[in-house]
Amino acid sequence: MMTAGQTTIGGVQDAAVRCGDTASDDAALAARIADREEAAFRHVIDAHARILHRIAYRMLGDAHDAEDIAQEAMLRLWDHAPRLCATGGAIRLGPWLKRVTVNLAIDRLRLAKRLSGDEVPDRADDGPLADACIEASQENRMARALIAALPDRQRAAIVLTYYEELPNAEAAGIMDMNIKAFESLLHRAKAALRKAFEACDLKVGGAV
Amino acid sequence: MSSDPFSLDNELARLLGNDRAPELSAGFADRVVAATQGRAAPLPRALRTSGWRRIGRRLVVGVVAAGALGSAAAATGLLDNLPIGIPTPREMWTSISGDKADPAPSLPARTTTADIVPQTSGPVKIEGTIDTPEELEEAFRRIDQMRAGRRDTRREAVDRRIDNTIDRRRAQGLPAPTPEEEALLRSRIEQARNRRDERVEAVTAERREILREEIENGGELTRETLIRLQRGVQTGTPAADRLERLRQLPPDQRRALIRQWRERQQGRLDRSRADPAMQTKPETTPGGPEDEIDLSDPGHP
Repeated sequence: MMTAGQTTIGGVQDAAVRCGDTASDDAALAARIADREEAAFRHVIDAHARILHRIAYRMLGDAHDAEDIAQEAMLRLWDHAPRLCATGGAIRLGPWLKRVTVNLAIDRLRLAKRLSGDEVPDRADDGPLADACIEASQENRMARALIAALPDRQRAAIVLTYYEELPNAEAAGIMDMNIKAFESLLHRAKAALRKAFEACDLKVGGAV
Repeated sequence: MSSDPFSLDNELARLLGNDRAPELSAGFADRVVAATQGRAAPLPRALRTSGWRRIGRRLVVGVVAAGALGSAAAATGLLDNLPIGIPTPREMWTSISGDKADPAPSLPARTTTADIVPQTSGPVKIEGTIDTPEELEEAFRRIDQMRAGRRDTRREAVDRRIDNTIDRRRAQGLPAPTPEEEALLRSRIEQARNRRDERVEAVTAERREILREEIENGGELTRETLIRLQRGVQTGTPAADRLERLRQLPPDQRRALIRQWRERQQGRLDRSRADPAMQTKPETTPGGPEDEIDLSDPGHP
């Protein structure tokens, strides 16, 4: 578990987190973006693009794809800013952008699976993971293999709560789930991660 | 920092923590801003209604449509023409409560072909051609039943037409027959009917004797032969020949000729409206598909 005072795993403390963005600030920014004010849009990009890119990278495992997803999420904000302002409710750009990013990443993963002809796994697959672990020479590649072996939504839950250290409630909101369902999903994700790690550890240990 | 405990084994946490995400490439913001130029506006949000509201709307539309169809069917009298017994409220209450209510006076039931023709078949079944006297008599019985039904239907239609004509003339202030004149007219029509029936019966009996002799001599009769003989085709009369020629025509031409005949009849009726007695004349219809009798089905001759 990460303790208070540690830097985030990504190594970058977001500007949005530092300045503690509020709903009123976000509403004002959204209104300015709706008015097509480029400076406001750049401000939001500077504040949120890095975390969106990290989330997408953890989900997809490819930096270029992650950048595409982050860009698309930002452009969605550009497109939907007038509608967001028209809702009249409290606007939180950070969670909204993260939700868009997670959904885009899951869509990209599913599309890749359909194109590759693989079945969408409903649980962690130990076999391919073990092979991947053997092939992974670096620890970060092993970590990538562990995360990549998780089903899409479990992967998103781990990325949001472990890597980005979001509270469960916020992560649940981003994934459009109630808190109980999200905690159940997270529990399954952790169990799958441990099981895969143990299998990987045994395999590597046996190989050594 | 997460407010929820996220515990992983130390080794696993260290392994996952070693995976560093790359930085965004330089100029990312510029590329995003550049991509907004000329970007098409998003499509408007699709109108969505909740599932229950949609289901409720469909239910209401279905109920209204069913009600409208039922009302239209009842208004046009379609239900009277269907063999569906619609219980009265009194009958429904009796069936629910189990009380033996007094039989309510009801209108005489409408006479239909199904009422005239017994639903149970006779002891004799006609299979294939008619080659026994029993089968022949059974065929005669079915023909008589069908004729009786058609005769009653025709007479009802004529009586209704007379009533309608008299009512219409009275409503329009035109001269209408007095009750005595009407009674006289109807008695004359009845006499004409009786004379016609006697004539037909005599001819039919004569033809049937011929058929009986043919069967007794070992002959066979098909359905077509029997109907042709019943219509007197073998007598060589011009009317019988016309009927036979009509029967040999393709269905389209036959229907067209029958329609033309009916139009001529209607024209004659229109021309003779001034004389009420003339309106009762056309009782006959040309021989055609409606005169065909299905001998293979005892319940539906």
